[in-house]
Amino acid sequence: MSLLASVGRGTIQRAEYIGGLTIQFYRGAAAAWRANPLTGSRLRWASTIQHMAVVGVNALPVVCLIAACTGLIMALQGGAELRQLGAIQLVINLVAVSMTRELGPLITAIVVVGRSGSAFSAEIGTMVVTEEVDALRSMALDPIEFLLVPKYIAMLLMLPCLTIAANTAGILAGGIYIYFTLDMGFALYIRAMLEALLLRDIVSGLIKSIAFGTIIVHVGCYEGFHVTGGPVGVGRSTTAAVVKSIFLIILADLLFTAFFYFFWR
Amino acid sequence: MSEPKLPSSRAHWASDAPIISVRDLVVRYGDKTVLDGINLDIFTGETMVIMGGSGSGKSTLLRRIMGIDRPTSGHVFIKNVDISCATEEEVNDIRRIMGISFQSAALFNSMTLADNVALPLREHTNLAESTIRLMTRMKLSQVGLGDAENLYPAQLSGGMRKRASVARAIAMDPEILLFDEPSAGLDPIIAAEIDSLILQLKSAFKMTIVVVTHELASAFLIADRMCMLRHGKILAVGTTEEIRQSTHPRIRQFLDRVPDQAAGGQDDYLQTLTKI
Repeated sequence: MSLLASVGRGTIQRAEYIGGLTIQFYRGAAAAWRANPLTGSRLRWASTIQHMAVVGVNALPVVCLIAACTGLIMALQGGAELRQLGAIQLVINLVAVSMTRELGPLITAIVVVGRSGSAFSAEIGTMVVTEEVDALRSMALDPIEFLLVPKYIAMLLMLPCLTIAANTAGILAGGIYIYFTLDMGFALYIRAMLEALLLRDIVSGLIKSIAFGTIIVHVGCYEGFHVTGGPVGVGRSTTAAVVKSIFLIILADLLFTAFFYFFWR
Repeated sequence: MSEPKLPSSRAHWASDAPIISVRDLVVRYGDKTVLDGINLDIFTGETMVIMGGSGSGKSTLLRRIMGIDRPTSGHVFIKNVDISCATEEEVNDIRRIMGISFQSAALFNSMTLADNVALPLREHTNLAESTIRLMTRMKLSQVGLGDAENLYPAQLSGGMRKRASVARAIAMDPEILLFDEPSAGLDPIIAAEIDSLILQLKSAFKMTIVVVTHELASAFLIADRMCMLRHGKILAVGTTEEIRQSTHPRIRQFLDRVPDQAAGGQDDYLQTLTKI
């Protein structure tokens, strides 16, 4: 009986969480529409640009470094296997396709979750604890529009850019391996890589990165807005934001990959 | 100034229609009833102090009057608009005539004091930036912080932060000013400063002021009328004089600062400890 009860309670909690996220997404989208530069008048440029710098520009070195390491790892691991089959030139395809389609967006998203998702949740959580969010509402300002939308717009613009940077870094790092093992010049490597890549690979990766950015912002902010229990709660929500974001990102990745596998190839 | 003692239990300058009217307000969190059928009228121009011990539901009541949380049942009318079931836009219209000073001041830590005070003006008016800056400086000097406009909240003392939050609350020249525990966590001198600031606002602007507090001295100093809350119910509403002379045992206990255990003997207390 208690098992049944806890399963039921767990299910209800998950459903509530998904429902809350969906409502927040809807309100965020509506507010973002009000705030977009073409039709709206309430875009918070200063805040958006500041977030673009923090989310995007400041993350560039670490994203590129991690992506380069991943590209090199892929090349080494792939090379070790493909060498035995005498198909070492396929390392180029391996690195190029898996970086653009899969690893570039995923690694970028995970780095950004750690850097920014946690920061969003901590920032908003602290504002909830210190009643700043209530103060916003008491001044007839929508916290979603005021706090979430600038982050969301910044993320939607910057995460695809970071992903492209990560793809580039990973592919160039793969080129280092090719240069030393196959004695292939860099220009030749680039040409072979371009032949292996289709525009679809890059575009599907960027579509994923937009979805990942949505998850990072909304889960981070949702956890922040629902902090209870003071400063300890802020810490808890930050952890939850990172764990839940990463889980949802992997899940979304799976769904998108399956979708592209069946419907776009 | 001497005035005739009025039979009615509200301040003499208050107009007839209540500006805030709470009807049958019930708030429950799960099984716990925090507010249980509150009825309260607050009239234009008066200062109402809501008093009660910790956990009596006074802050909960204030949050419902602000329209930040919705009640489980019942109604809160502000200027005849029922904000307990209005849409967010309608509540936002009402919020523009309300200013709120939060218990923790709730200044935006990422902004300077001037920006904090200017925020509602920038968001809700089309005033020119120079006008906004002028108004901001005016509001800040009104609370005695004229020279602190470029400081960040973290650089201020608790009392200064509280005063800054009052400056932000009056930025839009509200008709209703709400205070949540204005003197909580402040030393007696600073607390008295906040009290005199409230009195000063009261005489300068004739705003309707609602204060939630458990500080007896400041409550009797600033109130026109008072409302005593206990366990989510109103024990009494009346002028300060009526409350001071009340014979209700719970009100007497609160005013005379008698601890709860004194009601029973030491044996009763031991019994409550050993009882499972």
